[in-house]
Amino acid sequence: MNSPATPKARSELAASPGWLSPARWRRRRNALPASGRIGLALVLFWALLALLGPWVIPHPPGAVVSTTVFAPMSLRFPLGTDYLGRDMLSRILIGARYTVGLALAAAVAASATGTVLGLLAAISGRWVDELLSRLLDALICIPSMIFALIMVAVFGSSLPILLLTAALGYVAGAFRIARSLAVNLSVSDYVEAARVRGEGRLHIACVEILPNMVHPMLADFGLRFMFIVLMLSGLSFLGLGVQPPAADLGSLIRENLSGLGDGAAAVLLPAIAVATLTIGVNLLIDGLADHGRPEGGGGKA
Amino acid sequence: MRVTLQLILKRMAAAALTLLLVSIIIFTITSLLPGDAAQAALGQNATAAAVAALRARLGLDQPVLWRYLHWLGGLLTGHPGYSYSNGLPVSAIISKRLPQSLLLAAATTVVSVPFALTLGILAAMYRGSWLDRALSTTTLAMVAVPEFLVATAGVLIFAVKLQWLSALTFVLDHPTPLEFLRSYALPVLSLCFVVTAQMARMTRAAVIDQLSQPYAEMAALKGVGSARVVLTHALPNAVGPIANAIALSLSYLLGGTIIVETIFDYPGLARLMVDAVSYRDMPLLQACAMIFLAAYLGLVLIADICAIVSNPKLRRP
Amino acid sequence: MKYHQPRDAIRQAADLKRRQVLHGFAAAGALAATGRFGLAGAETPRKGGRIRVSSVSSSIADTLDPAKGALSTDYARHYMIYSGLTQFDSRLSAQPGLAVTIDSGDATLWTVKLRQGVEFHDGKPLMPEDVVYTLSRLKDPATGSQVLAIASQFADVRATGPREVQIRLAAPNVDLPVILADSHFLIIQNGTTDFRTGIGTGPYRCVDFNPGVRTLGRRNPNYWKPGKPYLEEIELIGISDESSRVNAMLAGDVQLINGVNPRSLQRIRSSSGHTIHETQSGQYTDLIMRQDASPTDSPEFVLAMKHLLDRDEILQAVFLGHAVLGNDQPVPPSSRYYCPDIPQRRYDPDRARFLLRKAGLPRTRLAVFASPAAEYSVDIATLLQESAMHAGLDLHVDRVPPDGYWSNCWMKHRLTFGNINPRPTVDMLFSLFFRSNSPWNESGWKNSRFDALLLASRSERDEARRKEMYWEMQRLVHDCGGVGIPAFINFIDASDRRLRGYFPIPIGGLMGYNFAEYVWLDE
Repeated sequence: MNSPATPKARSELAASPGWLSPARWRRRRNALPASGRIGLALVLFWALLALLGPWVIPHPPGAVVSTTVFAPMSLRFPLGTDYLGRDMLSRILIGARYTVGLALAAAVAASATGTVLGLLAAISGRWVDELLSRLLDALICIPSMIFALIMVAVFGSSLPILLLTAALGYVAGAFRIARSLAVNLSVSDYVEAARVRGEGRLHIACVEILPNMVHPMLADFGLRFMFIVLMLSGLSFLGLGVQPPAADLGSLIRENLSGLGDGAAAVLLPAIAVATLTIGVNLLIDGLADHGRPEGGGGKA
Repeated sequence: MRVTLQLILKRMAAAALTLLLVSIIIFTITSLLPGDAAQAALGQNATAAAVAALRARLGLDQPVLWRYLHWLGGLLTGHPGYSYSNGLPVSAIISKRLPQSLLLAAATTVVSVPFALTLGILAAMYRGSWLDRALSTTTLAMVAVPEFLVATAGVLIFAVKLQWLSALTFVLDHPTPLEFLRSYALPVLSLCFVVTAQMARMTRAAVIDQLSQPYAEMAALKGVGSARVVLTHALPNAVGPIANAIALSLSYLLGGTIIVETIFDYPGLARLMVDAVSYRDMPLLQACAMIFLAAYLGLVLIADICAIVSNPKLRRP
Repeated sequence: MKYHQPRDAIRQAADLKRRQVLHGFAAAGALAATGRFGLAGAETPRKGGRIRVSSVSSSIADTLDPAKGALSTDYARHYMIYSGLTQFDSRLSAQPGLAVTIDSGDATLWTVKLRQGVEFHDGKPLMPEDVVYTLSRLKDPATGSQVLAIASQFADVRATGPREVQIRLAAPNVDLPVILADSHFLIIQNGTTDFRTGIGTGPYRCVDFNPGVRTLGRRNPNYWKPGKPYLEEIELIGISDESSRVNAMLAGDVQLINGVNPRSLQRIRSSSGHTIHETQSGQYTDLIMRQDASPTDSPEFVLAMKHLLDRDEILQAVFLGHAVLGNDQPVPPSSRYYCPDIPQRRYDPDRARFLLRKAGLPRTRLAVFASPAAEYSVDIATLLQESAMHAGLDLHVDRVPPDGYWSNCWMKHRLTFGNINPRPTVDMLFSLFFRSNSPWNESGWKNSRFDALLLASRSERDEARRKEMYWEMQRLVHDCGGVGIPAFINFIDASDRRLRGYFPIPIGGLMGYNFAEYVWLDE
């Protein structure tokens, strides 16, 4: 998956300053729309499972506990068994931990780094801007799967490397958005006013520009998180993702793919898990954006 | 017109710099990769003597920097060198693969862009309604399922069970429209799942953003119908951001199609690049990266030109 | 489940004992003339038709140079376009190919008589010089040949007559005729250096070759076996994803595939239009314990690990029963040199715990490296990790991506997995993977008794005595070798039901990669 990015729609949204004032934010907190509440419920559900996973699993996730592969749901194996005869419920609980932890960390890292670099490019001189932009453009042209292939070949496959790979693969997109947001904001009236007041560059960046970037970057974060979850599952398709016997939700789908022809629960359930998790995160963020907007716009970035 | 020309010239200069940067990055990481082309070619059966002999034949015993400069010199004179893994000219290999990748990308574009625009505009027109929420959740759901699952499920249903479509995507010499459809429907569908959502969401956001502008509100107050406001006022002004979103999504279609190419056994560039990494085929890897970068920069440039042409305000220097 | 039993056992063994001169082909003449050894059916093959065949991989490194063939798709491509001096039959004995006889008095100097009237695809006749060129370039390091180590035993190859070639070996080797049937030894034209098109004497002419995409072969009307081949055209492709490969066949896009996962068999069986071809083979995935590192060099540790391989569970969970129990030595039960009276080693966590304690290794944490590159090793390692826990051994599975596994990981760490394809002779198997000084002696095992037996067996022309030597070598590897071999993996191919003429050659899938010459398409 190449870096999803984009830019101008959001930059213009952000350019209407003040629509995210803390006061308004607070006032409308109770008005989270229904879809947002569903999103919140889904996210909490998965966060809870990821947290409690190791304490509630009925079987060790790596142990072959059944002689039947792709066993259907039963009392003993509530979600059936996988292609080796391991308990699916235990594997999904542990898999959710990997997906939530790894993808979340990578998405946060990518968005945070992108924001900081974008801000830096916008407030620094032309050369820094040019160099950063060219460098990240260069990063974009290496497809993220191939980038991951190279990273894993060089450094081996481990969780930190996967995290770094996913974060690096998506930092360029975040940077593009952050930069265009920051550039637009830096020519706005109140930033000019701050300049006239004689505020330092750092102060302007942190106090005047950054707070107004947070919300659009958050909205972008939802899609980015989704793409990272998908990238991790794509990597497991190529044998580069989380390494067995450990498995994130995406790897669970991949390793049980041979059961798809028979409609095995082992392949459908992790797919449903991925879908509900990523949709939940996006609904929640959309909901926050909706009620963060001023007069009944209902739109979201 | 002048502004457009200036933009193009400025972009060309930036592109040249980016190309150089990419070639250095690729070169650095390929030299970081463990093993080299000789070792990769001999695989499990590699003995030290055989590897050394092959290395000498491929010129891998030369210093890395010299190899890079040699390659760069070749590229500047229009000769990207020979593949390490099979000795064929890189240009010959690429010229067989690039048209295939472009064809798949074009087919996907033709299907996904109108679809995504329609979804996005519909959602914007009826923003906040149940239709909007349904469309937005559907597009999210489309992209939330891993593409290898979508592709495999598609194959199982339409190729294996119903036998309507082909499970593999063959390169056809002179396909009839029906043959083409049979062969390309599934990979195009799988790729649409990936790219449509983002384009649709961006379109919706851009149109809504325009609708909140004073001129659109003015038009609405004057009693212009909501559909007309969107189509005649908001949409033309939103071309810039929409074109940008489309450009970025489409750039994915050249290099990001590895999973679809693997499942449908399609001879595109992404698989070529994976092979190039596996076989440590530096000249081929470089060439692929150059093409992806050129495509990416070209698409972004086109998007910006669209924005300028559609929005007179941006024509001011 | 359907096992193919070899139908007519042609044994060179009996003859070897009786005759003074070593003949490469024993009961050859009559059967070879019909060109149908190994084939039982009385059906008359139909001519014509076109099939598409998918093997398990295809990449930019695909080659038309037989010397460089590295993967199954390469072997299949090469057998389609080229012919060898000899050919395998279903017992992996040598049968005449481009050579009509191949004889030796001392197993060192071999005389090859070439078939008359054989033409290359470009119309040039087959000459002794072609054979000399082919075999000589294999031992030239600059060729990049995959069989450099084996070819280095060709001390001298020269043309000695208009249809005669002499091969002098560095040391006696009674197995030469079998070795020459291997795909790397297929005959190319004298002086060939450009392999963009393949000119051979094989059953199909190469019409299109696009590395990583496809090979298109069209029937060679002047093939040296009268009446063969049967099909008009064969397109060979490689689909690396197993489920895509099976789906492509079920959807009717390809007619023959190899590398079918046991988990897909149910789906293929339920399709009325398709057949499964399963062949017992000598392929195995083994746990390698390096004998030059601690603690894997401890005999107690090695034995404990062998007892921790839960073979029955591996057979069931990993292979769904489509494998044969292994006993930590590399000769499969289907081989005529298999030693039947070595007791089967069983899963025994208590004994393993005892042995580990004896070796002073309680609660050790060890990494074991597995990779999809070594087929099934990740699954086997996963099961091993579980059973090791019962013996108090903390194994950590480190799964390595296929990229670079063979060059950077295999045999380099203390505990890794290998994947060994069948070899046509026991001698090759032992020489390549167990002889002390072999570069692929996986565990770095050194045993002077084994080496001495190996050397002696090569010149041993008495079949019974040779068998005894092989038996003792199997016992040595079973008792103290550094590898654990849990199972021999069956080759599983599948095809369209209309595809006929298939019989197994247990050197690999796709009829030992030789399908092109034999298969035909029924109406």
